[in-house]
Formats: sequence, structure tokens, C-alpha cells
Amino acid sequence: MSRLSADDLKMLLEKSYMCRENILKMMRNAEGHIGGAFSSLDMITVLYNKILRHDPKNPKWPQRDRFILSAGHKCLALYAVLADQGYFDEEILWTYGQFMTKVAMHPEEKLLAGIEFPTGSLGHGLPVAHAIALAARLDNMDYRVFAMLGDGECAEGSVWEAAMSAGHYKTDNLVAIIDKNGLQVNGSTYDVMSSAPLQDKFKAFGWSTAVIDGHDFSQVYECLESVPFEKGKPSCIVANTTKCKGLDFAEGKFQYHHWHCEPDKIDEAIDIVNLAKSKELENVGK
Amino acid sequence: MSENNAIFDDPRKVFAKALVELGEINPDVIYISCDSSLGASGADFNKRFPSRHFEFGIAEQNAMGEAAGFATCKKIPFIAAYMPFVAFRCFEQVRDDVCKTKLNVKIMGNNCGFSVSALGATHTVLEDVSVMRALPNLTIFSPCDGPEYYQAAFAAAEIDGPVFIRIHRQKAIRLHNDDFKFTPGKGEILKKGKDITLISCSSMVANTLEAAEMLLGAGVDAEVVNLSTIKPLDSDIILESSAKTGRVATVEEHNIKGGLGGAVAEVLVKSNPVKMKMIGINDLFAVVGEYDELIEYYGLSPEKIFESIMDFLNTF
Repeated sequence: MSRLSADDLKMLLEKSYMCRENILKMMRNAEGHIGGAFSSLDMITVLYNKILRHDPKNPKWPQRDRFILSAGHKCLALYAVLADQGYFDEEILWTYGQFMTKVAMHPEEKLLAGIEFPTGSLGHGLPVAHAIALAARLDNMDYRVFAMLGDGECAEGSVWEAAMSAGHYKTDNLVAIIDKNGLQVNGSTYDVMSSAPLQDKFKAFGWSTAVIDGHDFSQVYECLESVPFEKGKPSCIVANTTKCKGLDFAEGKFQYHHWHCEPDKIDEAIDIVNLAKSKELENVGK
Repeated sequence: MSENNAIFDDPRKVFAKALVELGEINPDVIYISCDSSLGASGADFNKRFPSRHFEFGIAEQNAMGEAAGFATCKKIPFIAAYMPFVAFRCFEQVRDDVCKTKLNVKIMGNNCGFSVSALGATHTVLEDVSVMRALPNLTIFSPCDGPEYYQAAFAAAEIDGPVFIRIHRQKAIRLHNDDFKFTPGKGEILKKGKDITLISCSSMVANTLEAAEMLLGAGVDAEVVNLSTIKPLDSDIILESSAKTGRVATVEEHNIKGGLGGAVAEVLVKSNPVKMKMIGINDLFAVVGEYDELIEYYGLSPEKIFESIMDFLNTF
């Protein structure tokens, strides 16, 4: 099995924390869904740096792997990673919150290179992702489609319609990643509407599944490297994550699903995130 | 047209034939069904092109999202389901995934109006035009006869964007000749007249033409307009005809609130606010019965249309 080197680990960690810092800088202008952005960020960082076959200079390259952010409100993470990858100028990030910004609170494919499909209303991404995976079959192409969902989102019936469909069609170039941070707008997913046990449910719908720590770069990489887990089955990764990971006072608190930070507190938040980065860097290779 | 010489077409069969021909011409045309692939308007496509037919079962939200996904890959999906399920169950997917994105998805709303009225009000959809008309980027076709259904299928495929096609189940009397050319966005005058403009679509065009014959017998020379494209609406033909006649009546097998009547009224009120009568279903859920029974009950038979228009003319 392919493993990440210590240099790779360091690179991924530095990039994900640089993205966290950029997200906080964006939030000088406006509120945002920081909780889900920070819980999904490490996985999106691994995807774009180590897993996806893609070309930022040719975002519509037909052979590219596709990433559909079904939980569109996590898009701050995607924007920061896409900017780092060179899909668009970093300056665009600083227009967040401005009139007619290209980096809106939900992603728009017509505004920004690298956005595969516009999302926002939950439960829409997996059906779209599945069709794109089926289209690869029709066109004799070997690209893969990765869809990221939230665990709260899994209360939407359309998620399960699509899950059933992918199991039925045995679409093994489709990967669903569930960012299971356990929280949604009104509280714990267990209290609001339990979607547990997610792994068993996807398995029952004909998927091959894995459970990982969504902040452990090695686990994320090794898991994503090994898809499809089974030939003839779509793959589902249930990733246990921490909402608002990296911002210690907000970690694991549903109140930070969506956060309006006072502009003068942003620098303080950036300091906290950088402190978390330093601590994690110390542990790399240990 | 005399009943003896009349030719009737099954809209679903006509559409099914057109879809197969489209599939032959363009390998990107695919067909998506929701447990309605057999006997419906795509029935022949799945036999001819099984690898390009995707059955997604009784799960229209997923099916509409899948249609959008295919369209991002340059496919031209025709997605069919019974009207309530394709227009309402997955409305947000139609709005967000298909219309907002302006993707090349063709939505076939099978069994519009009283098509399957014996099945009850759940299946008798009288609100689809009202709802779908509010969606930006969506073209809406509501053909009236076989030649129009056939050409509407090809026109839908040619349009680079979403199209919603209302497909009736009742056999349609053929009103057009072989040399007829359907033009999206354009209405057509089927009978010239000077006393009142009668505007209709779909199944009601034939009944309106018959009513116009009766009106002629009563000394009223009505102009009959077929508005088979409901969006974008041909406002020119509405304004030109109403300028001539000074009175307008719309006839539809649909709720008059937000339907064809509403659409025509929006044009008239801005530019030529003439007296207007909306003949259709007045904001209610239909009773159960056979097609002809409901047409009669709700005042949509040629005789009832004739009577309504005579009342209207006597009032104004």
C-alpha cells in the first residue's frame, strides 16, 4: 500500500492550516460556515494534492477526476484549496462577502473555475455525482467521481435514492465521503435526526465502506488511494471529524456551524489556528 | 374537420417514435425513466438503445439530479415520469440542478391534465404550468396534435437548455398537415377571425376550434390561436390578435391561476388590457371520473366552451 512520506505529511499539514488561515481572512468580510469547512478541509487538501487526477490550468479536462461538494456550505474549504492549487487568483478569496463575489456562501460553477457543480440545497450532490460516474461508463472513460456529504445532510431522502441507484448500477468509480462531524445547525446529529449507523446503511445499499479519522492525513490518503474497495461496488468513506477543527474554542460546538466573527477577533482566531498548526507539526514523524 | 376523415394520434407513441429517431441521429441522446419506461413516451427507446436507457425507479429526486449530472457530460437526457412526480416531487432538483445551471435536460411530463383522471386528484395535475412557468431558463412546450408532438421532440433536442414538454394521454385529432413546421416560441393562428381571440394549447385546441365553428353559426367570427410554446410566450401574436378583436378568451385543461390564462393576462394587462375570459379549472382539485366526463363537468367540451364564450360576449 502506498504511504505518505514525512515530507508529504508536513506539506499537507502546512497547506491545510494555510487554508484555515485564509478562510479566517475571508471571514473578515462576512460570516461563514466555518464549522464544516474546518472539519472537511484536511480531506479536501489530501484529495487535491495527492488523489485527484486534475489540471488547474485545464479545469474542464475531460479525463479529470471530479469532486462534487454535495454539502455546498463547506465551500470555504474548497475555495481555499482551489486557490492554493492555482485554479484562480488568490485575490478572489478576499472578495468574499462583497456584492457579486465569485466566492459566494454556496459554490457556483459559472462563477469560478474548479467548481464542478453548484450546490447549496442539501441532498443534490450524490445523484449528480452518480450520473457523472455513469457517463464515464457510457463514454469509456476511466475518471472517478468523489462526492463529499455531511452527516446531517444524510437525513435528506435523495441521498438514499442516489445510494440505492449507485448500488443498483454497481458504479465503482463513485466514492462518497461523509464528513461525519456529528453536528448540524440545531445541535448533535444524534439529537436532531440520527443518521447512524451510516456505514451499515451504505453497506445495506450495496456499497463497500470504510471508517477513518478524517483529520489523520495518512488514514485519509491510504483510504482514498485504495478505492474502489471492491470491484463492482461504489465506495463510501465515513470520516469521523471535528467540527471547526483547529480553532480550539469552537471545536465540536454546533454553535460554530455558521459563525459571524467580529472583525477585530479574526487575528486572535488566526493566532489560535497557527498555534494548533505548530503543535501538529511537532508531532509529524513521531 | 369532419369526424369521418379525422386522424387521431397517440401523443405518447408519436413522442416515442421521435425519441428513437433522435437517438439514431445523436448518440448523446439518452432516456431516463422512473418506473414508467414501458408503454410510455420513451417506450421504444429502451428497446433500441438499452445502454442509453437509465431506469432509476420510483425515485424522481434522484432521477432529476442524475439527468443534470449526465447533462454536465454533454449528454442530452430526456427524463420521463407521470406529471405529478416529474413536476412536483423533484421540483427543487428541476429548479437548482436543471434550470439554474441551464443544463440540457428535457423533461417529459406524461399524462397532463385529465389524462388519467380516473386515478384521482393525486394523478390529475392541473398546476404544472403555473409552477414550471416561474422557473427562469425553462422552455415549456404543450403540443396539440401528433405533428406538433413529433416536431416538439426534435425542437427540444435542438434547444441548448432545459425544456419541459407536457404530454397528454388522450388520442389527439390531427390538426396539422405534413408540411407543418413547428417553431418554438411562436404561436399560430389556426382560424382567422375578427370578433374575439380564443387562445388555447394541448388538448383544448381541438375543442376550441369546434367551439369556434359553433360560434360562427351564431354569427361570431372567432380567431383561434394555438400557443403550443407557453414559455417563452409569443406576446406578439397575442397583442396583434387582441388589437384586432378587442376581446380574448383562453381555454385550458389546467388551473386558470398561473396557467395559460394567467400567462396571456400578464401580456395583455401591460400592453392591451382588453376584456378577457379564462376558461379552465378554477382553483380546485378535480373529482374522479373518466376523461370525457370531467371535460364535460368542468365546462371544457366544445359545447360548453361555446356557451361560456357566448355568455362572455353577452356580458361585454
